[in-house]
Amino acid sequence: MGTEGKATPSLLRSQWFLLLIVMIIIAAITGGINPRFFRINNLVNVLEQISTLGVVASGATILIISGNFDISVGANIGLSACVMAMLMKANTPYAWAIAAGLLVALLCSLFVGACSIVFKAPSFIISLAAIGVFRGLALFLTQATLQTIYGKFEGLGSTRFFGVLPLIFILSLGVYGVIGYVLRFTKLGRRIYAIGSNERAAYLAGIGINFNKLVFFGINGLLVGIGAMMLLSRVGAAQPSTGAGIELQAIGAVVIGGTPMMGGKGRIVGTFFGVLLMGVISNALNMLQVSPYFQDVTFGLLIIFSVAVSALSQGRSRVAA
Amino acid sequence: MPDEVVLSVSGLTKSYGAQRPALAGVSFELRAGEVLCVVGENGAGKSTLIKLLSGAVAPDSGLMTIRGVTSGSLVPSQAMALGVATIYQDVELIDSLTVADNIFLGAERSAAGGAFVDTRTQEREARHYLEMLHLDIDPAAVVEDLSSAQKQNLQIVKAMHQDARVLIMDEPTSSLGYEEKRSLMALVKDLRARGIALIYISHYLEEVFEIGDSILILKDGERVGVYRRTEVDVDFVIRSMVGRDASLFFRREKVDIGGVRVEVKDMHWPGVVDHVSFEVRAGEIFGIGGLVGSGRSELAGLLYGMHPRSAGQLFLDGRRITPRNPKDAIRKGVRFITEDRKKYAMFGPRSVRENVAIVHNELAGGPVLALRKERGLTAQFIEKLHIAVSDQAQAIDSLSGGNQQKVIIARWMIEDADLYIFDEPTKGVDVGAKQEIYKLMVDFARHGKCVIMISSDMPELLSLSDRIGVMRAGRMIKVIENAGIDEQFLIKAFLGIQEPGA
Repeated sequence: MGTEGKATPSLLRSQWFLLLIVMIIIAAITGGINPRFFRINNLVNVLEQISTLGVVASGATILIISGNFDISVGANIGLSACVMAMLMKANTPYAWAIAAGLLVALLCSLFVGACSIVFKAPSFIISLAAIGVFRGLALFLTQATLQTIYGKFEGLGSTRFFGVLPLIFILSLGVYGVIGYVLRFTKLGRRIYAIGSNERAAYLAGIGINFNKLVFFGINGLLVGIGAMMLLSRVGAAQPSTGAGIELQAIGAVVIGGTPMMGGKGRIVGTFFGVLLMGVISNALNMLQVSPYFQDVTFGLLIIFSVAVSALSQGRSRVAA
Repeated sequence: MPDEVVLSVSGLTKSYGAQRPALAGVSFELRAGEVLCVVGENGAGKSTLIKLLSGAVAPDSGLMTIRGVTSGSLVPSQAMALGVATIYQDVELIDSLTVADNIFLGAERSAAGGAFVDTRTQEREARHYLEMLHLDIDPAAVVEDLSSAQKQNLQIVKAMHQDARVLIMDEPTSSLGYEEKRSLMALVKDLRARGIALIYISHYLEEVFEIGDSILILKDGERVGVYRRTEVDVDFVIRSMVGRDASLFFRREKVDIGGVRVEVKDMHWPGVVDHVSFEVRAGEIFGIGGLVGSGRSELAGLLYGMHPRSAGQLFLDGRRITPRNPKDAIRKGVRFITEDRKKYAMFGPRSVRENVAIVHNELAGGPVLALRKERGLTAQFIEKLHIAVSDQAQAIDSLSGGNQQKVIIARWMIEDADLYIFDEPTKGVDVGAKQEIYKLMVDFARHGKCVIMISSDMPELLSLSDRIGVMRAGRMIKVIENAGIDEQFLIKAFLGIQEPGA
């Protein structure tokens, strides 16, 4: 796997190295002030909290590398989690409920992709508008009520191997693995990079742009559905606002992980560390009893900061080239 | 003061990258009320000269003195403040505003204490300017309703309103009809009479000899000379434009030419490519020449399925293979090496290997890449084409222009094909790499493939082509056997100047 690293000079690698150092510093400070941070139970908690984000951020990685965005993933999670919860409440077999939820998530993401292709509009704008569509549908279906499924479908979210390894975290690792494999070893992966770095050149090299973009959005949709399923099982309830805000965290994690906003580059390993950093910071803020309102401020600033770092390092490499 | 020098430049030099400079030590003077025509082949440095004078790019060295102010480089706002206005081919107007609004854009006449635009005053003043220049345009008309000639005239009016003393016009007649050309000529003469200095760039020598007071001839970025119109003739100008070192010519090996393999029939794209038909034989390099904008690249794009065509078919060995899109073209054995590799071919941040292997991978079956095979093929082509890379995983962005071009050619060579279309194959490529690319093209021919080569580089066209198709205004006006013809003959064909007895 190392050949790629030799060539992509230090930028990406140094980026995760940097993330690791930042994480260690944050952990050290937080642990120093509040020793509970280092308790096994808390660390396991962090892993559980970042599982959904990791799965969603994996989809975002594919989209951002290919030059697309889907910022409706939060609303998509809300809608598909509500559908799953309502079906489970009505005693539909879990498999059917999950299948229905995944289908909803898939269709939502395909809807964003298709609109962006047909209307030749940036997927960023289309998905921004789609937030209203998806959330509105969820509000209509649930009549704005909380869909609780206490006592049902808890296995997925509460299983911990050896008492420390959450099942959903393992699942998210599997997703990273699959996406990493796709990016590195498949024709589809090459198309993701090719379309993201130069769409016209990809077209002239014989790549069907529209079909492949739909595939990217389809993968993203399935991952969003899996994320919704994990979240529902862990929380035991869903409402239309479930998942709100995860889009920014996902895009932030991808960008912090070294994938430039302009696409064409990036690796799943970076996203993994970006997600981990998000989780550690969020947990540290809780441990330090920072007001939840201020936590939003922190994440917002963090994402702006990471975009700035990404833009500046891109600018530098441009000049160097 | 009609004889006052308003613009003088000395030693103006600009190079992009390591190759021959685009402009090398060019000097000239321009006086008020003088029309200086700039002529030269494609790539002689005309566009670069405009960009330097208008402040779009900064020169590497040299000085520009405009109305007494000397500077080493300009930014566009400085050039404008000094009275230099450039009328570009692609018109820079705001389509949704009126004629008067456009003229006063950024310097609106205000009413009611500054908050509102005084439309009435603006239109009255605009009408004054339009009448002064004898232009029949309604100041209240919306710009998108104007013809392209009117838009161009409007740009000139706008420049006059901004008190321009030097007007630069780049191929102003290239998209105009006959009547419009006549009225533009009249406008230019009118401006000259008002003491405006003009730099007029044109491929059309008949215009040059009609309105030019003096003629600046550029060749390969260098000044051949500045001549009074009265002291030179068309033949002299053409000779000066094309005369050059014989060393630029490539001696190619001759290859046996077989029967017709590729037939292009009646290719048509309204307004761009006009019912073009020709044939290419096995082992033949078919050159396509013509001025920039004559529809050459667009014709190639049609053959590759890039553009919607309204008529026309492509045949290979008697079978109809007219491609629906590039993917289809590739599967049917057509390869297109585009003119602008950065824009149309390179995946800039990706590795040399990914760039080389993309078409191979797309044609291979199965979703999983054969990485070992890919590595082997890449290594093989790096060696075969002498591509200078440190590592297959090096980003293509970091290579020199010649090596980038060879990577792209490698991409199209891995999988066998029948028709190779090269659009400006050696643009931005150094001399050594040029020779190697030529050898590759001859190699294709030797294996009985068909090669179509579009080129603005005269020596390239003359030394490689078996036959040359000449394009002008979307039509292939003639196909010339490349035997005993020279650059002067070709450029006359490009310009549409009739050969006596031809």
